[in-house]
Amino acid sequence: MEVDTSSATAKSGGAPPLPPPGPPAKKKRALPGMPDPDAEVIALSPKTLMATNRFVCEICNKGFQRDQNLQLHRRGHNLPWKLRQRSGKEVRKRVYVCPEPSCVHHDASRALGDLTGIKKHFCRKHGEKKWKCDKCSKKYAVQSDWKAHAKTCGSREYRCDCGTLFSRRDSFITHRAFCDALAEESAKARAPPAEDGSSGAAAPPALPPPPAAPVPLQQLPPAPAPQQHEEPEREIGAAAPEPVVQYTPPAPLMPSPPSVNGANVSASTSSVAATSQSLLGSMFAPSSVAQAPQYPERALAAKPPSLCLATDAASAQFSAPAADRQQQQLPPPSPSPSAHMSATALLQKAAQMGATSSSSSFLRGLGLDISSSSPASTSSGQHHHHHHQQHHQEAMQMQFPEGSLQQWPPRLEPEPAPMMSAGLGLGLPYDSTGGPMGLPELMMGQSSLFSAKPATLDFLGLGMSPTGATTSRGLPVFMQPMGGAVGMARSGTGPPDTFGAGRGAQGKPWERNPSSSPIL
Amino acid sequence: MMQFTHAAVTAPPLYPNGHHGLGLGLFLDVGAPRARPWPAAGSLFPTLPPSSKISLGNLNSAGCMEQLLVHCANAIEANDATLTQQILWVLNNIAPADGDSNQRLTAAFLCALVARASRTGACKAVTAAVAAAVESAALHVHRFTAVELASFVDLTPWHRFGYMAANHAILEAVEGFSVVHVVDLSTTHCMQMPTLIDMLASRAEGPPILRLTVADVGCSGPPPALDMSYDELGAKLVNFARSRNVTMDFRMVPTSPADALTSLVDQLRVQQLVSDGTEALIVNCHMLLHTVPDETAGSVSLTQSVSLRTMLLKSIRTLDPTLVVVAEEDADFTAGDVVGRLRAAFNFLWIPYDAVDTFLPKGSEQRRWYEAEVGWKVENVLAQEGVDRVERQEDRARWGQRMRGAGFRAVAFGEEAAGEIRTMLNEHAAGWGMKREDDDLMLTWKGHNVVFASAWAPS
Repeated sequence: MEVDTSSATAKSGGAPPLPPPGPPAKKKRALPGMPDPDAEVIALSPKTLMATNRFVCEICNKGFQRDQNLQLHRRGHNLPWKLRQRSGKEVRKRVYVCPEPSCVHHDASRALGDLTGIKKHFCRKHGEKKWKCDKCSKKYAVQSDWKAHAKTCGSREYRCDCGTLFSRRDSFITHRAFCDALAEESAKARAPPAEDGSSGAAAPPALPPPPAAPVPLQQLPPAPAPQQHEEPEREIGAAAPEPVVQYTPPAPLMPSPPSVNGANVSASTSSVAATSQSLLGSMFAPSSVAQAPQYPERALAAKPPSLCLATDAASAQFSAPAADRQQQQLPPPSPSPSAHMSATALLQKAAQMGATSSSSSFLRGLGLDISSSSPASTSSGQHHHHHHQQHHQEAMQMQFPEGSLQQWPPRLEPEPAPMMSAGLGLGLPYDSTGGPMGLPELMMGQSSLFSAKPATLDFLGLGMSPTGATTSRGLPVFMQPMGGAVGMARSGTGPPDTFGAGRGAQGKPWERNPSSSPIL
Repeated sequence: MMQFTHAAVTAPPLYPNGHHGLGLGLFLDVGAPRARPWPAAGSLFPTLPPSSKISLGNLNSAGCMEQLLVHCANAIEANDATLTQQILWVLNNIAPADGDSNQRLTAAFLCALVARASRTGACKAVTAAVAAAVESAALHVHRFTAVELASFVDLTPWHRFGYMAANHAILEAVEGFSVVHVVDLSTTHCMQMPTLIDMLASRAEGPPILRLTVADVGCSGPPPALDMSYDELGAKLVNFARSRNVTMDFRMVPTSPADALTSLVDQLRVQQLVSDGTEALIVNCHMLLHTVPDETAGSVSLTQSVSLRTMLLKSIRTLDPTLVVVAEEDADFTAGDVVGRLRAAFNFLWIPYDAVDTFLPKGSEQRRWYEAEVGWKVENVLAQEGVDRVERQEDRARWGQRMRGAGFRAVAFGEEAAGEIRTMLNEHAAGWGMKREDDDLMLTWKGHNVVFASAWAPS
């Protein structure tokens, strides 16, 4: 079962001596358990099997899995190339066994008939499944499997004529009511309901694309060929179990309307908002805030009608790149941690050292100038910070056992909560003497940005000039209490369940069974 | 020029060196029940804090952020520009809008507070420019196409839960009726109707004649915003109903929650006069009733004792409906002071932020729409007053009181509804759950109440 039916074609074509042009595609495909007794049994190491593109072209960096293919490629660059010569007589069929001793394909009698097949088998069965479907969280070891799945995930149940797939009936119904496909369909309501054939169940054997055999040698980079072969096949297979009859299009040739399903929309968005900017930072650059989300479906609407002759194929073409891009999007834009870290670190450093930092470096630390925080102060601040955090974590870990697990569901009574408020020291914005005595001074210290130098003072960028009245205590006063908060938590002054309640959610699964959850 | 107003009599006393005082700041938390644990953002492993937590240290806890927000709100209320600015600065540094769910939540509140500061008191000058930027961002609420919205409401069970519960209750209630008049009072632009039509279409006794009356509250209503006129929307629904062999009549009535949907109720009353009494009247209230001003809303030209909200429910009662379904968020945003609302909202709206982490990648467009919608809510709750503040949620108990007070009795949901909702929830993240409370159904996230659905018949 692990034999990839498509991969053999490229391979055989790639073999330089060009075995007889007729049968190459089929010939090498040996079913497991029925090896050619004359075949040469190859046992490759796991490392070899997992290796990808070990042979790289020095000109264009294109990678190849096999040296022979690289040599063929090099000819395109007019580089010296050499192909192994083999006399036609000696061409022996090769079969491949799996290096995993416990695997059925470890036995030569169950060897797989081609190299790609064994590679995929090894990867699927014995490799790490690092490709995860966003929708159903299924994991795949082979990227092409993952891609194929992603195209059809959720398609088991409902498919609108527009190509959008639904796993639940009510989602489908809701979509259906508002989708243009319905309007078009009812416009052509007279058409006979000949949908069973059109939904594609009949197609599979009829449509396999022509094997790669007759292709000239230069065109034989092995990777793309099986890919192309594979996709239509899977697509057809996936369309087959379509249970919805009443909504399928009366005429298969109807151009499919632009699909606006979620995947497409999110995948085709241009760029995400300026996420790495901090809030205030972006406020000051309104242009970046007001970035207009574009209408991606407009782009999709440009889908040429000719592509829609077979809706499946069209959607395949569109969803494949979409999946790719989605994959690339997955790692979210990194939120420029350095800026925030340095800001926090600076705060804490200032807390300890009494706000000695100069106003300019301070400003940078605030993330107002994200790109250029002063390295010296940043790093030292971080040192302190990590130290700090460590304590914090210790405290939390110590408290978990008592607090967290038995705390579910959380008690509803008011928590004493002296910790945070006390710790923040924010309960003191006002001076009983009536003097202006707020956080500002508390945070800013003697060098206060807000009193002396208007240019730097104006961190909000609003051109307002602060009064000189606001100098007195500084950041240290503000910050120390935070240390105090941790200290309190650590020393157990606060009841353990303050943290426990805060973290209790992890102790126990909720009412649902976790297996149904993609991510949680 | 910035002002300092120190007239704030409610200002807490100063404790110098306060970090040594255990009691410091206690007063801030009095009366603030902490009803929920705060799960680490998306993490089931408390001992492995996300990296952002490491970098932000002890500042990055929900409690801390809530405290800072409360202080910021207090400073704004006290017209203390400098203090406001300072706390905004701190918040901005600990709560990047692209951080974890705590931070994103806080960033939304921060935005809302800036907006509030720009509208009230002496801070106005300070934050006006900032607020302009915020507003231009806030104004940019996505306008959904109908198809987009259809998939959007399925991202979480937030709406679908109410839809399902209501549909089942309605289906039971209209049994035997050959004409069903559904009045859809919803903020989600008829997204519930296709499934209701579908259910009615397949009921055992055959589909009824369906009349659908929809309240069109205009484009100023709460999000989601629809990029389509109700006429078009209605045409699509009628077409869909026809495809399901349901004869449907669609009518849209422009109306406003700010005057208790008077125009709509009046129309219904006129229709009632001419109807022969054989049709079932269903009033389906989905997340819209809370936008009708309650007792705490100012500038209502009524006697003080009766709010528009009460008035609306009573006038609905006079229509003698077969069934009224109410689906609302189980939260109370009606506190008169901004701090009270801030706490209430902070302790409810973490849920959408927490939940979204489980199914949409950061930076995805749908996530931005989703979070913008929550952000709109936060802004409305915190920064708006009077009739502009339309997010006036009340909790389930309060709605129950109101309904009973208006002359309704609760109708329990059947097992079928509960079962189907459970099945639906199983297809979402594991945090979602459902429980029964009295006769109502309650959607929960990690055990916390989110949305309730209740059904009412004239008593």
